[in-house]
Amino acid sequence: MHLMVIPGLILVLIYHYGPMAGITIAFQKFIPAKGFFDSKWIGLENFRYVMSLPDTWQILWNTVYIAVMKIVAGLIVPITVSLLINEMGKALIKRSVQTLIYLPHFLSWVILGGILIDLLSPSQGIVNQFLGYLGIEPIYFLGLDNWFPYTLVISDVWKEFGFSTIVYLAALTSINPTFYEAAIVDGASRWKQTLYITLPGMMPIIILLTTLSLGNVLNAGFDQVFNLYSPQVYKSGDIIDTFVYRIGLVDAQYGVATAVGLFKSVVSFFMITVSYYLAYRLANYRIF
Amino acid sequence: MAVKPRYLLAIVLVFLLVAATACSSGNGNNGGNNGAKPDNGASGNASEGNAAGDGGNAPEAAIEPLGKYDPPIEVSTVRIINDTYKFAEGDTIDNNVWYKAYEDELGIKIKNDWVVSGDGVGGPGEQKMNVSIASGDLPDIIPVNANQLQQLIEADLIMDMTDVFEKYATPLTKEIMNADGGYAMKSATSGGKLMALPNTGSSMDGAAMIWLRSDWLKKLNLPEPVTMDDVYRIIDAFTNEDPDGNNKKDTVGIALNKDIMGGYAGLDGFFNAFHSYPGIWIKDASGKLINGSIQPETRAALAKLAEMYKNGQIDKEFGVKDAGKAGESQGAGKNGFSFGQMWNPLWPLVSSKDNDKNAEWQSYPLVSVDDQPARPQVSLAVGGYYAVNKDAKHPEAAVKLMNMFIEKSYGEMADPNKYGNANGLEVFKYAVEIAAPATKNLDAHKAVTEAIKSGDASKLNPEQQLYYDKISSWLKKEDGSNERWAYDRVFGEAGSFVVIDKYVSDNLLMNNEFYGAPTPTMVSKGSSLKKMELEVFTKIIMGSSPIDAFDKFVQDWNSVGGEAITKEVNEWYQEQQ
Amino acid sequence: MQYMTPGRRLFVIVNYTLLILLSLLCLLPLIHVLALSFSSSAAATAGYVKFWPVEFTTNSYQFVLKKPEFLASVWVSVQRVVLGTLVNMVLTVLLAYPLSKEVKAFRMRTFYVWIFFLTILFSGGLIPWYMVIKETGLLNSIWALIIPGAVPVFNVILLLNFFRGLPKELEEASFIDGAGHWTTMWRIFVPLSLPALATITLFAMVGHWNSWFDGLILMNSPDNYPLQSYLQTVVIRRDLSLVSQSSLADLANVSDRTSKAAQIFMGALPILLVYPFLQRFFMKGIVLGSVKE
Repeated sequence: MHLMVIPGLILVLIYHYGPMAGITIAFQKFIPAKGFFDSKWIGLENFRYVMSLPDTWQILWNTVYIAVMKIVAGLIVPITVSLLINEMGKALIKRSVQTLIYLPHFLSWVILGGILIDLLSPSQGIVNQFLGYLGIEPIYFLGLDNWFPYTLVISDVWKEFGFSTIVYLAALTSINPTFYEAAIVDGASRWKQTLYITLPGMMPIIILLTTLSLGNVLNAGFDQVFNLYSPQVYKSGDIIDTFVYRIGLVDAQYGVATAVGLFKSVVSFFMITVSYYLAYRLANYRIF
Repeated sequence: MAVKPRYLLAIVLVFLLVAATACSSGNGNNGGNNGAKPDNGASGNASEGNAAGDGGNAPEAAIEPLGKYDPPIEVSTVRIINDTYKFAEGDTIDNNVWYKAYEDELGIKIKNDWVVSGDGVGGPGEQKMNVSIASGDLPDIIPVNANQLQQLIEADLIMDMTDVFEKYATPLTKEIMNADGGYAMKSATSGGKLMALPNTGSSMDGAAMIWLRSDWLKKLNLPEPVTMDDVYRIIDAFTNEDPDGNNKKDTVGIALNKDIMGGYAGLDGFFNAFHSYPGIWIKDASGKLINGSIQPETRAALAKLAEMYKNGQIDKEFGVKDAGKAGESQGAGKNGFSFGQMWNPLWPLVSSKDNDKNAEWQSYPLVSVDDQPARPQVSLAVGGYYAVNKDAKHPEAAVKLMNMFIEKSYGEMADPNKYGNANGLEVFKYAVEIAAPATKNLDAHKAVTEAIKSGDASKLNPEQQLYYDKISSWLKKEDGSNERWAYDRVFGEAGSFVVIDKYVSDNLLMNNEFYGAPTPTMVSKGSSLKKMELEVFTKIIMGSSPIDAFDKFVQDWNSVGGEAITKEVNEWYQEQQ
Repeated sequence: MQYMTPGRRLFVIVNYTLLILLSLLCLLPLIHVLALSFSSSAAATAGYVKFWPVEFTTNSYQFVLKKPEFLASVWVSVQRVVLGTLVNMVLTVLLAYPLSKEVKAFRMRTFYVWIFFLTILFSGGLIPWYMVIKETGLLNSIWALIIPGAVPVFNVILLLNFFRGLPKELEEASFIDGAGHWTTMWRIFVPLSLPALATITLFAMVGHWNSWFDGLILMNSPDNYPLQSYLQTVVIRRDLSLVSQSSLADLANVSDRTSKAAQIFMGALPILLVYPFLQRFFMKGIVLGSVKE
């Protein structure tokens, strides 16, 4: 069995662990022209620098707030949708739905950004027109601090839920049909079947994806925020990645960018490790 | 009992890991060390060295700015292109009319080590250049941006070009490179040494001006803008007096993009009317450099903008729209006033003409709030720098390539039909090194309008000929394509260059006096300051912060790092004197 | 169909309505892009186009198809997707099988899993990554797009979870019949996991098809760009504050929203065609149904 692992292991060591030497950049005032060894070693200066910037804590909070909401919504929505799709009988419609919900994944945020500005416009946007029929005043979704994070979460879930839905649907197929046959014989309702057969059957995958998504607690989605945010919502929408991007615009500061990346990795690592061991200790369940 | 093999393997793995990292960092060392050439580069250099070995010294004796190497030499470079590069059948970026001319006439065979498409800020070109610099993969001629140039200088990887340029540059090359008053050359100089050749451009072309729908002006019986009050009056009428005649109040007074400043629908022109110069460094009465963003004039302009926003004269949703999105309202015939630059008719104004053939746009010089004329702010216009590798065998080749470009494009022996624009292809882009005289477009405007008056187009160069053909066919109504209309609006008799001509002849351009590499505090605090500025300005204009927020902004700006930057900028300024 | 309770009937109706609405919500933006691609440039710039082409024209498609780079990059992409997916899938299965074993059966598994897993979390950044690829001599070849990302760790972890869900009895039976690990993997695990494999194949394909950044950085000539890298150079937003004097003619391209839309649509099309085909493997419990308890 080692033989099976070796090709992949070698590739990973070369192409993933090899470049990890570059993490040292986080502790340097790295200048590409000087390389790893001639760049000045400055210890934790890059980290200290980022912490010293005036908005760091606000940005960190924004990132966590947006990311956590995305993680939660990104779990609930696909699970629900895959259960609902599973309840569909007509194969043609079922397959069409599956295909269609995966479509937004292929559109880039550059394109969607333009579309969303139109859809959500307080004066002309279709969403606010609809709210108008319900007697609700127009809402400036992209321009107000108290709406912007939710707009991000909803549009992101909308774009990406098709992806996880596919995984859950695949998980559903691996549930042994004899369970359902037995349940029907016992007279269990559809709801009971879902509750006692389907959900437990999906549980390993649900736990796996939940754990993995915890690693994203500091990833609030650069492309999306970059294409949708604006100075008026910096306060609620500026996240770590957009912040690093703007620092880089003045002068590409590799040290700072790598330091921030390392910080994110360490936090992800911590989150995932903790949940891994919790699952193992409490539920005696190995996630991977 | 089970422990042993497990640990053994773990140890082996750790060794593997260390080996892998050590191996890769060893390479890094190799590549990153000053002057140490990586394997790939070395082989390329060897052949180059051989070729140059015998004949290379001969032409050095007699300095000929356009002399031919015999036998030919090979010079390597890299190319950052974009999707507008179009080639005739059989031509490529590695083999085209320019590369052939280099080889036939100069004996310089160009080798592109790599070519990447995408020249935006932070785009693939910049990143590829960064990884090449980091891995020590540098060609002989290195096209870089200002930051990268600074890094190469600091790492001592490039050659001092002062003498070579002095010796080899033709008088015309020297003239064109210094045509902007020497700003471009100075920006390529470090410690008194010329470290690269700048790709000079035209800063005057970036001056702001007023663009408005002149058909609406006529329809509503409004005066042309001469004072700022006229401007307010026009904007108000374009907002409230139904200029598009559909009996609906659905027009946007003034188009504005979310970056507040910029080439289309920015407010540079508005601020300049108040003698405020956000984002650039200007000389104050005592001769020191100060930042335009924090001056009281900027406060006054913002106060007025907030008032206009409140009155519904500025697009309510400008805060989320980039220039392209902001341009939609004029395209749909819902906006007729914006501050912009000379090229606006080509984009995006042409779309309102496409959708409504009666639409007519006219440019006007900036007007002022008082009796002092408004001075449009301009910044250094350098499209990039051509640095020369310290290990290059023939640094003078870089100067020769530049000589040849300038000679063939603007000199006596210019053949722009072949080397500039051929069959509708922008052939000049293929050249390894390019530069443009600061007045190229202004000259084109003058020559074209002259030719249209006299009907004699024989003296025009091909680029001017192109504009001439488009404009005259528009004027004669031979061809109704609106692109031709747009060229008329830029280069024609009433085109935007009339405005620029006025700026230049009245000596109104307000130069950004800082054109050096970012200072240390700019690097560390610049992005925070920029964010603060945009945020505060946006909120003041939208009325979500009172104008008093400006005073706090000035304080914060200074304490967060602006004061330190001002000090550094002035130290730099002293050195330049 | 069997008898439905009124509650069930109501649920079915609501469910269908809800999901169809949701699908429409996902479909509309693509329709918008499609409409844009068939509209005139002027209408697009003015923001007139919604879900139906305005001033119908196929100019953008002609424009896109006429470009030699387009077809060349499609070919590179096809090579990349075929080779890359193949390599990904072989390695994924090879890794997922041993790693899905219990610690008892494969002592090193946890250690290996973490070795692989950490690569998701930590990365050294662009410059060292580029240097390793350069030093291993892959630069400017199609393999540069395949080898460095040959091990899709996320997919491995997914698949090993699916493998673990398979009934242990099958594996044991296989061993009793005298089969080794290779045979068991190939004869038992792979056929039983078709839905999971189809899912992962889809992800691998989409991943290869969509990635663009590596193409831009690792290829030394635009001739070798895969489609999405090439599209990126066309679709990327121009920084308008930097419009340079040197070529006013470039401005015409800035407004070329329609051809950009055409390119986006054509970029997404092949995957849209492949996906319904892969769905054949999503049939629930084809294989599992035949397994005795």
